[in-house]
Amino acid sequence: MTIERLDYATIRLHGICPIEDAEPLLQCLLATPGAVVDWSGCDAAHTAVVQILLAAKPPLRGPPRGAFLRDVVAPLLVRPGE
Amino acid sequence: MNEFIEQFLIESRELVEQASDDLLALERRPDDRERLDSAFRAFHTLKGAAGIVDFAAMARAMHAAEDVLAALRAGTGRVTTELVSNCLACLDQVVRWLDLMAADGEPPRDAGAAADAIVQRFAGSGILALLAVPEQSTAGWIATLLAGHPAAASRPRTAIRYVPDPACFFRGEDPLAVIAGVGGVEALRIETAEPWPELDALDPFACRLILLALTTASPEEAGQRLMSVRDQIEIRPLQAGTDGTGAAQLSPAARAVLEEQILLLDEAGAEGMAGKLASAGRVAVNVMRSLGRPADADGLGDALASSEAAHDPAILRGAIRQVPDGASVLSPGPAPAAPDPGPAHPEGGARVMRVDVERIDALMRLAGELTVAKNALDHALGLAQGGADGQALALILKDQHGHFDRLVGELQQAVLGIRVLPLERVFQRFPRLVREMAGSLGKEARLVVDGAATEADKTIVEALFEPLLHGLRNAVDHGIETPAERAALGKAVPAVIRLAAERAGEQLVVSIADDGRGVDIARVRGIAAEREMLPTAELAALPDDKALDLVFAPGFSTAEGVSGWSGRGVGMDAIRTAVEQLGGRVVLDSRAGQGTTLRLTLPFSVMLTRVMMVEAGGQMFGIPFDAVLETVRVGRDRIAPLGAARAFVLRNRTIPLIALAEAVGGRAEAEPPPEASIVVAAAGGQVFGVEVDRFEGRLEVMLKPMEGLLAGMPGLAGTTLLGDGRVLIVLDLQGLLQ
Repeated sequence: MTIERLDYATIRLHGICPIEDAEPLLQCLLATPGAVVDWSGCDAAHTAVVQILLAAKPPLRGPPRGAFLRDVVAPLLVRPGE
Repeated sequence: MNEFIEQFLIESRELVEQASDDLLALERRPDDRERLDSAFRAFHTLKGAAGIVDFAAMARAMHAAEDVLAALRAGTGRVTTELVSNCLACLDQVVRWLDLMAADGEPPRDAGAAADAIVQRFAGSGILALLAVPEQSTAGWIATLLAGHPAAASRPRTAIRYVPDPACFFRGEDPLAVIAGVGGVEALRIETAEPWPELDALDPFACRLILLALTTASPEEAGQRLMSVRDQIEIRPLQAGTDGTGAAQLSPAARAVLEEQILLLDEAGAEGMAGKLASAGRVAVNVMRSLGRPADADGLGDALASSEAAHDPAILRGAIRQVPDGASVLSPGPAPAAPDPGPAHPEGGARVMRVDVERIDALMRLAGELTVAKNALDHALGLAQGGADGQALALILKDQHGHFDRLVGELQQAVLGIRVLPLERVFQRFPRLVREMAGSLGKEARLVVDGAATEADKTIVEALFEPLLHGLRNAVDHGIETPAERAALGKAVPAVIRLAAERAGEQLVVSIADDGRGVDIARVRGIAAEREMLPTAELAALPDDKALDLVFAPGFSTAEGVSGWSGRGVGMDAIRTAVEQLGGRVVLDSRAGQGTTLRLTLPFSVMLTRVMMVEAGGQMFGIPFDAVLETVRVGRDRIAPLGAARAFVLRNRTIPLIALAEAVGGRAEAEPPPEASIVVAAAGGQVFGVEVDRFEGRLEVMLKPMEGLLAGMPGLAGTTLLGDGRVLIVLDLQGLLQ
């Protein structure tokens, strides 16, 4: 699994997150409103996964490891004040 | 040439024709859904085809046009004249590219600028207003994107808008990975098609995103890398003005040197062209290299190579003009209003043609039958060698001969059949040309095409384009009246020009009829008198139909002004010359106030020519049968010297006489018979007599054009082999007159 629930309040994405991660990620976020997503170990994420992050806007712990995610995608997900 | 490219060229030309046809039909009937779909499909297929041959610039241009048509299909906006013109201009560009490709065998390298121009045309020429597209959707997004990323806006060259299909995840597509794959992404903006729903109602497998990106990749590169999702993206090149930097500015010295080379190439005539080309190219390459711009140097080197291959300095000249100089290019190219027609088809027509499978099958069958016939001949040979009775053998051979005769006849028909094309191939280009001609002359005309399915030999069909174009120009320019004049006369607007074709036996008749004002015969007579084309008395005695024929004389015109479309009467003269070269005739028929009809009568095929054989100066000659009016024998006492020449009177008409033996440089007979044998013929609008020694029979021949030393000789049309192995020279009477 490239998605795991570390503890009650943290969901971790690492490696290359495929489309299969989108559904579990959504379920985790629904089950735990306010959970932090730690994607500092994430190299790449499928659009479906990014879409969940965009829709749910969870607090993120990063920056992600992959260059494209870090430079291009992450700025879109950072909420003002973070 | 690469097989794919060959196929691409054939298909693309067909698609361009299809699309033009559809667009014109759409202009007349904007609600014609089928035509719209068909035009859209044609553009879409052109785009796909361009992708297959790695011609990214063309794919990009097609995409821009396709977008507009897609919007129409979706019901946003409506068909306007401007939109149709833009799409047609886009197709014109494609044709120019195809011509270049036909010459070079590969996609032109410097097509980027032309593709940009097309994209701009669709983006810039008020397409938004035309389509009533919500502002947000097209050009607006680029501005938003640039405004949102001021820091990133300095370098990128291309903006991409990617609206993934909501179901794309199921196809294994990953839109973000696709964008990442373009490379050089400077900024990304993600929008949603609609506001986000509540999280628990979100379908994680439906893509709801719209991706907007700025990249440093060129539009071509981006287009190529996004080919797999090409129907979901929009690619816009960013103008030099927006990106601000582009390439470094050229130093004044470098600019001066490059401009010198452009001048040198401008004056490069045929003479010394190769040398000038090579030297200008080398200088330009070295300039770029010394400036530390190896990419530009390589580009110019490539342009030099293609220029040399095509013997056309324009390619290199264009490439030098396009050298990036700061934010702009060195010097803008020639005005787009006068586009370089590009190298025309080198051999005057496409070398590849499509043939109906049935026709090939017929040939196969004939080949089989010929083999059987040959085997039967083997049998006869065996009998002959076995000492068979001559009488019986002759009977068998006669039978075989009859069989062969039939097969050869069929074979000839089948081979001619392969070369047969429907006239549609030329006709379909005219509705559009008539529309443009009428538009530019402030007239309204509708072209009605009849009998486009009529077939004729490929050579005839292809050679018909120009004379017909001249004829249509004349009809639009001189024939039909302006809408105001027509309204005043109570005539319908728009005027109708009818282009019709039909088979009449072995002949093909093509006519152009307009319902305009007709030819003013009094004016024709006036001009003929003014230009002293005929003696006054002769002119006065000329019946109207003969007077009308004067418009075919070189340099004649009844037009008061010279318009851009038809020059001073060059048209009619050119039509007659072209048609007669094909072995045809032209007549003009006019009724005052009711219209003019131009009728072209052509042989169905140029391959079989009926000739009349004559002997002169001990040599056999053929005279094309359609030029022969009659043959007469005239007593020598009735032939009178007329200046340096001779003439005789036939039915009260003075006819100039040419002695064939002398005309072709042979000897006249030592003792001329008391009666001269004369072929009365007509060519170039003149009737004259050709004196020969003897009339022989008539013959159908396959004419071979003159080759080698004889090729440039006037008066000779071609040769053919006679049954006894002698060569028959067929005369070109019109050439003989000169």
